[in-house]
Amino acid sequence: MIITPEVLNKQKNNFTIIDIRSEKERQKFPLLGLDTILFSDDESINVTKKKVLVCQYGIVTEGMIIEKKINNAFSLLGGAQAWVEYYNDNEDLSRWARQTVLPEIGIKGQKKLLNSQVSIIGMGGLGCPVAQSLVMAGIGKLKLIDDDFVSISNLHRQPLYSFDDVNKKKILAAKSKLKVLNPEVIIETVDIFFDNKNGEELLLKTDVIIDATDNIKSRQRIDQISKKLNIPTVYGALFRFEGQVAILNVNGSAGYKDLFPNLNTSVEDSCEDAGVLGMLPAIIGNIQALEAIKLIVGINKNLIGKLLMYDGMNHTMEVIEL
Amino acid sequence: MINVKVKCFSQVKYALGVDVLTFELDENTTSIDLEKIIRKKAGKKLNNVPLRIAINQKYQKEETILQDADEVVFIPPVQGG
Repeated sequence: MIITPEVLNKQKNNFTIIDIRSEKERQKFPLLGLDTILFSDDESINVTKKKVLVCQYGIVTEGMIIEKKINNAFSLLGGAQAWVEYYNDNEDLSRWARQTVLPEIGIKGQKKLLNSQVSIIGMGGLGCPVAQSLVMAGIGKLKLIDDDFVSISNLHRQPLYSFDDVNKKKILAAKSKLKVLNPEVIIETVDIFFDNKNGEELLLKTDVIIDATDNIKSRQRIDQISKKLNIPTVYGALFRFEGQVAILNVNGSAGYKDLFPNLNTSVEDSCEDAGVLGMLPAIIGNIQALEAIKLIVGINKNLIGKLLMYDGMNHTMEVIEL
Repeated sequence: MINVKVKCFSQVKYALGVDVLTFELDENTTSIDLEKIIRKKAGKKLNNVPLRIAINQKYQKEETILQDADEVVFIPPVQGG
């Protein structure tokens, strides 16, 4: 069983709180505001009162309670790190404990995610997994831009929609599913087809643009606005068992137009080319979401100025420097 | 003579029916020359497909003379989403 810092704070008098950490760990994240006893041996956790076990990030204690079959015990979600954050800033970030434990993310990175806004253009095969992963990761605000309706042919690859949603607006169906995943996320829905007239205004306050469209003309429009506003675009595109991902237009880095100059918008896919297995947009969309998160958090190893080409048939990748 | 490897993706792979091709080429063969060879090999299947070129994982903005052991990727625009 687990308990969050917020709940523990309200009910702390009902628990014996056992700190299982080393002295070095205790110094890093001291459990201020809690009366604790230190774990000495297995006897100390056999107290009959309900107890909360605390480790540094809430992972060791979760396993320990199961492994040692400790009765009446809770693991503090997010551990001492989450408690310190809650105690200092009255903010319970424990639900993201499994990603804040990553040194590349940490509490600082999680706060950046919570304070960021991402706009997704196109809520189809790519837009669905991108939105799902970003909401689950704790992005603060999402803007969903699409004017399309859910079709029965979407259901094999667009996991935010179900049979009940057929003929409903995609953005509304997506919003209701995403709010279930994280009720605290702010979702703005924009029921329009993205074009040059409305695009700039729509994207003004965005930190990252996700290009999840399905045609070259839209990609070119997004690129123009992204470059003009100096807002990075995480581009994704699919072809049968393959996909491409790149981060475009970061402080003058390559854009879609640099990648594909003088591109004729009348390039058309055949029916065969439009075919896709649902896993491919899930893979490519999740790579887009990963790159968006790295951009927001400030992780330097990313796809800025690079094009990733993924082949799902052979599981080969090429990363090309643009 | 030089030997060059072409890794095939997307429309190029489906047009040629292979993942990888190797070519023995004359010295001073350029990236555009190789593109012509590829297009000829594909028949009409790449007629409406614009291609960009990367050599050794680096995007090429201009025509480039190929070197022995170069790895070439042709990059077509793909639009599915």
